[in-house]
Amino acid sequence: MSLHYTLSVVQAPKVKPTKVAALQTEACISGPNQSAVLWADMARWFGEDIRSILGNIRVVPFHEVEEIRVRMGQPLMIRTSDKDLFLDREGEVTSPDKAYHVKREDLTCALERMTHSSVYAAEEDLKQGFLTLSGGNRVGVTGEAVLVRGQIQTMKHISALNLRIARNIQGRGLKILPLLLGTQGIVCHTILISPPRAGKTTLLRDLIRLISNGVPGLGLTGQTVGVVDERGELAGMCQGVPTYDLGYRTDVLDGCPKAKGMSMMVRSMAPQVMAMDELGHADDVEALMDVLRTGVQILSTAHASSIEEARNRPTLAHLLDQGVFERMVVLSRKHGPGTIDGVYDLRTGRIL
Amino acid sequence: MLILGCIAIIAGCGCMGLWSANRIRRRPVELREGLMALALLDTEIVWGSTPLPEAFGVVKERTDTPWKEFFGELQERLQRGESASTAWQETILAQNLHFCLKKEDWQVIRDVSKGLGQSDSTEQHKRLELVQRQLALMKDQAGIWSEKQAKMWSYLGFLCGIAGVLILI
Repeated sequence: MSLHYTLSVVQAPKVKPTKVAALQTEACISGPNQSAVLWADMARWFGEDIRSILGNIRVVPFHEVEEIRVRMGQPLMIRTSDKDLFLDREGEVTSPDKAYHVKREDLTCALERMTHSSVYAAEEDLKQGFLTLSGGNRVGVTGEAVLVRGQIQTMKHISALNLRIARNIQGRGLKILPLLLGTQGIVCHTILISPPRAGKTTLLRDLIRLISNGVPGLGLTGQTVGVVDERGELAGMCQGVPTYDLGYRTDVLDGCPKAKGMSMMVRSMAPQVMAMDELGHADDVEALMDVLRTGVQILSTAHASSIEEARNRPTLAHLLDQGVFERMVVLSRKHGPGTIDGVYDLRTGRIL
Repeated sequence: MLILGCIAIIAGCGCMGLWSANRIRRRPVELREGLMALALLDTEIVWGSTPLPEAFGVVKERTDTPWKEFFGELQERLQRGESASTAWQETILAQNLHFCLKKEDWQVIRDVSKGLGQSDSTEQHKRLELVQRQLALMKDQAGIWSEKQAKMWSYLGFLCGIAGVLILI
């Protein structure tokens, strides 16, 4: 059975119609203004031209946008959950031919602003093809990779940026959390899988917060959660202060490679649950196997669109064959981001 | 009245001489302080991978006036979203009146702006090191000359005053 959660499901209490109506009108009044403020906030990462375009957007509400795509010589594009929209100089939606075409200066300027004029500080991230902005938004970067002895040294001639807007949607995790709890109320070793843009990170963030704070209704007491946030996306750390609420009992190791971070975390912070994003490297798997022997429960995500696909990815297949994970949550975009296709009990193969 | 006028002229010229002497004495001190600031910035970039706005903040905290104001303004400009190289050049234009440095010193310091923050840390280190080496040379030269010149200017001011008075009388 597929479960589908959207914000509206969480938000729609139909018991008191008058109150709801009042709330809705309030939302209507504050909605466009708030959207303009959020757009202006996002626009600060770009140079003059794109900044004014994003600042002028009135037709597209900010909360609908998932990505802002800036490709050299191509029209400026924003992606919502189901549409690609091209923008002209006035911030209006138009056809690709009439849209604003991105220039080299736009990309240079954007990169400069996104790194605070400090490309060297984002060196390690750039090698992996992304940047993390303060606030947890992630920017994908492509260009020409410079290799030294087969290793990527840096990225030059940046040709495209993809600003992915991070969302902090609370409440989704609560729906699947009961399925992830074992017999003694302990969180099972869980892996969340989905193709890109399906809401893995958002769901993981929510689960971390719930486990950390505890959910008395489910008999789950708060547990110490160690988060190894290699890409700085989960907590959105900004000079040691997390942008997202990850709960009272969460320790975040920011920007640390997962393989090293996991053992550091176990040694130093004694977590009961360890959370990390995007498992996939052989080193990560090796470190994970080591951590498992210390009695820590694992909560992680990986790229794969189905359980079969996960079994075909060599690194994940090894983990699944070893029976490391007890639960697998498969997410998709069938009904928008965050659609939960199914929760599997990997020990019995049942769908929960 | 005449005597008072004479004294005023001599005192005026003397003060100007002393002021110039003071400026000359301050130049090597400011160059040394600048060198230290660049070394700090270098450390922040290479070892701390600290983004420039934050790094400028650290340098600001650890230097004295007028470099404190210099890095303070840089930090503000970067936080406003200016690019590092423009901010560096603009700050030089805005702040150079508060310094006793010469035009050639500023030319070397301006070189820092070229590619500041735009490459990896090794490259940044190389550039900063080059500027530091040039500045160190200038500081050494300034150190040798400044004492002699400062002494000369402090005398020269009064002597010019006396000469002026003699001519006027």
